[in-house]
Amino acid sequence: MKTRINAEVAIQAAMSAAVNYADIVTDQDPDDGTHVVPGELRRFLARLRLLHGVPFSYIVPDAELLPVESMRFFYIDRAWTDALVQGALSVGTISSADRSQLEAVYPHIRDEVDEAERSIRRPREEARLVAGSGTITGFVMRSRIVSGWPNLHVRAYSRDVIADDELTTAAESHPDRMKVLRMERLAPAVLFVLFDGVPAVVHIEEPRQGIQFGARLDPDDPPNNRRAKVHVRDCKTGDSVPPVNDMTPANSVDVPFRAGAPGVIDLTTLRKRLAAAAPNNDNTTLEPNEYALQMLRFPYRQVFGDPDNQQGQKFYALDSFKATVALSSWKNTVTAKLAKVIK
Amino acid sequence: MPRTGHFILHSNVMPPITAGPYELRTDQSGLPFTVETEVTHIRVAAPRYTMPTEQILSSFPPANAEGAFGDRLPQIVLKRRTLPWERNPSGSTATSPTPWLALVVVAEGEAELSTATPVAECFTEGTLAKIADPTDKDVEQSVYLAVTETVVKKIFPTQEDLPLLTHVREVDVNDTELANGDDDGWLAVVLANRLPVFDKAAGKSVRYMACLVNLEGQLAALPPPTPPSPSFEYALAQDWSVLATVSTSGSPDHLVMGGVSMAGVALPSNAPRRGPAAPALKQAASTTKIGTDLDGGATMPQQSVGKQWVSGSAATAGVTAAAKDPDAKRKVRDTMAQGFRYPIELYAAEKVLRFPVLAHWSFTTSEGATFETLMQDIDIGLLGTVPERAPNAPAAEAGPEVVQTGHIGLDHRTRRGDASRAWYRGPCVPFPTPRDSNAKDEPLPLAHAADQLRRVIPDGREDLSLAAAFEIGRLLALSQLSVVSALLRFRGEQFGAGRVREILAELVPFALPELKGERVDMGRFVAMQTIAVLAKNTDRMIGPQRPVADPGRPLRVDGDLDVLVANGLGYDLAALRKRADAVGVLAALEQTQAPVALKPGQAPNEKLVVPALRAALGAELQRTLGVAAPPTRVVIGPNVRGVARAARKPQPDALDALIDRAPPDDETEDLP
Repeated sequence: MKTRINAEVAIQAAMSAAVNYADIVTDQDPDDGTHVVPGELRRFLARLRLLHGVPFSYIVPDAELLPVESMRFFYIDRAWTDALVQGALSVGTISSADRSQLEAVYPHIRDEVDEAERSIRRPREEARLVAGSGTITGFVMRSRIVSGWPNLHVRAYSRDVIADDELTTAAESHPDRMKVLRMERLAPAVLFVLFDGVPAVVHIEEPRQGIQFGARLDPDDPPNNRRAKVHVRDCKTGDSVPPVNDMTPANSVDVPFRAGAPGVIDLTTLRKRLAAAAPNNDNTTLEPNEYALQMLRFPYRQVFGDPDNQQGQKFYALDSFKATVALSSWKNTVTAKLAKVIK
Repeated sequence: MPRTGHFILHSNVMPPITAGPYELRTDQSGLPFTVETEVTHIRVAAPRYTMPTEQILSSFPPANAEGAFGDRLPQIVLKRRTLPWERNPSGSTATSPTPWLALVVVAEGEAELSTATPVAECFTEGTLAKIADPTDKDVEQSVYLAVTETVVKKIFPTQEDLPLLTHVREVDVNDTELANGDDDGWLAVVLANRLPVFDKAAGKSVRYMACLVNLEGQLAALPPPTPPSPSFEYALAQDWSVLATVSTSGSPDHLVMGGVSMAGVALPSNAPRRGPAAPALKQAASTTKIGTDLDGGATMPQQSVGKQWVSGSAATAGVTAAAKDPDAKRKVRDTMAQGFRYPIELYAAEKVLRFPVLAHWSFTTSEGATFETLMQDIDIGLLGTVPERAPNAPAAEAGPEVVQTGHIGLDHRTRRGDASRAWYRGPCVPFPTPRDSNAKDEPLPLAHAADQLRRVIPDGREDLSLAAAFEIGRLLALSQLSVVSALLRFRGEQFGAGRVREILAELVPFALPELKGERVDMGRFVAMQTIAVLAKNTDRMIGPQRPVADPGRPLRVDGDLDVLVANGLGYDLAALRKRADAVGVLAALEQTQAPVALKPGQAPNEKLVVPALRAALGAELQRTLGVAAPPTRVVIGPNVRGVARAARKPQPDALDALIDRAPPDDETEDLP
């Protein structure tokens, strides 16, 4: 029996294609899955949520809130960012039909943008974050550090898992490491960072352009008599001789300079001094690699933490700024009052 | 291999042989016959005048960077671990633990970096004879560093320092922060011996250039060890920057030909060596600077960090312009070398040494504040913290009106023009806030206009935070056409579907699909549905069906069959009848020979045939016309035989019935 396509079969096929049109039109991002809101719109709204493009004076309304050489931590007010998104969505709502439909679909938009905002900044080879986010926190920093040391490393941890002076860091996918949602230099000296959660510890590290070598100049010396010191390391372990944060005669040597030459180190003499001062030195002198070990300077890491863990202080008792009346209950009140007036 | 985050330091990694030409001789002995020696020539190549960029992994401080680098030794990291030992600086071909590379840091004004020069001229005169295999060159042209002996004595490393300044680092290849994209994890590091210190006395940032120089043949020129000094003071080793003020009368020719006015310029040494003797041309001193004329670019005065960030800084503009050139690589380096181009060689009284420069970059050391001190002095707080004021500060200096919730009081002009104060709080708040209103109540509804989000708080002032947010969001969306069109398309596709459905539901008699978050192409659905309904109800909606085939009309035959046949075929009717009586009509027809006008092979007699054929044709035509157009009365000629006659009106058949039933629809159209 031959298979025949008659008009009825053809119409049925076209009909099902029309009904399943959703499969064709619904936004299906290969990265992102299926969504109601088109990808470009979702990403725009998510970037808006992360305050991309919001004028800085709306973020920090007064210069006194962010003085020179300061750093301010904050929570993101989700009601504010929601209002931002609502404002963007209000574009082109002309009739009340548009508005009622927007109201119907807004919960979906909100959920999808919640998810999208966590994948705006996704480091390479990191898994996509799914589901909506909770609290977003961050800090804004205004300092010469930002302009003088481009590519600062900023890391946040939900628990203090890394010792403050440990050389390594936790991997980006480490469960205790907070995802950075946005890190941007808004101005040459202003750094804006958003974290996905409330960090317990924040590390800011000098950029690691390779391992560096150097001495420590004493900042208080007069300009015509500048001195430098080198912290001595144990030849066996490579660890700094304690106390780590202090230069004592026992754990440091003075750096000899070439006479009459600005900043030129007399390496041969320095090597002799280091060889004499470094503990566990088996030889009378230092090999070039041992010498390099002594001269190593590691990038500086500043740790911001809360030693007493008093975060999350709430000001609800003071807060008279919260909007608490829902529109429907307010409407009821108004209608009831109106009814009285009309009577 | 070391663990991630760890590395191993090696003093050096010696190559088995140094770079240069070699002869490989292969002898074989112990055989009953002699074997001729096999001689092959090989050349071990290594950079000599230019470091290939792929061999440079990183440099510190970063090129063109500005920062407090004063307490860090500049360094360059090379990918091939044996590179610093691949040549012997003393000129022999044996390997030596003394590296042939040194990183020299010169401050602006201390030395001259040449433009591209043939490599033979990159060494001090007479040095080329002292190095191994002087003809070996990796490039035709390179740059050299011209420094006076005084400067060499002050800032170049001593021969004993050289091994200490080079070491090899072994790291895990997968450690992005340490290996930085190296292939085998072994890196050679060359350190400088000079801290690029900040000019603390003058409070000025200092521009330095780090040069990776080739020391081959010039170890003897390096300074001898001197007694150390416990401290130092910032000063240039030798300041040639006065050369920038030498008038050249607007032309670089005088530098070569002599004749530059040296009035009022005090050089670091007593008298110019082969400088201009007698001013041949007396021209008015112009303000043109030598650097400008020689380089074709502007000299680069130092700017503050803040100013350099502002677009249009001379330094960045120069680099940007140079980068557009096809010869960009060289020009960018040249721009970076500005300030190191004073023609020292022309003026110096003492001997000027030349060192080939394999790689160079410049950076600026700014004030003494280090990362650590800046970080520790930073003021930390939650947003909304304002600096404390003295309790008796004058009212004019009062700070912003900030409350504990993070709200700030700002001047507000109402729509009626009244000046008042309103509260505002940005998206960054000093404590966690609830996203929706209190849990017992339902979430706040979606706002459609900013005014819906204006709040009045108990103190009587307005809180405009959310209204401002709404308005900013609206303006940001409106500012991007792509977003506006995406919104409208989104609405058209999804919301539009719902609206169309409602309208269609009123119009069409069949059920429409439900919209449950999925989008349906409603137009197509309705079109298809309509076609399906049409197909089911053709009689009512399109018209009655026409039968597949109409029955033919009956043939009308008058008279006897045999008469008709005989007449038609031209038989002799009488003979046919006679024979039919005997054998029957059909057999008689079979037996009767049809009269043929022509026998086979016989030429037709045109006089007979043509009139006959024409007559037959005419008659048949008339007959056909008679059937097709019955009203036409045709006078049939007497010589025509057959059934042709005046046609009668036929019985109406199915087609006639259809035509009769058709509505008279075209009547009006033809009317004028």
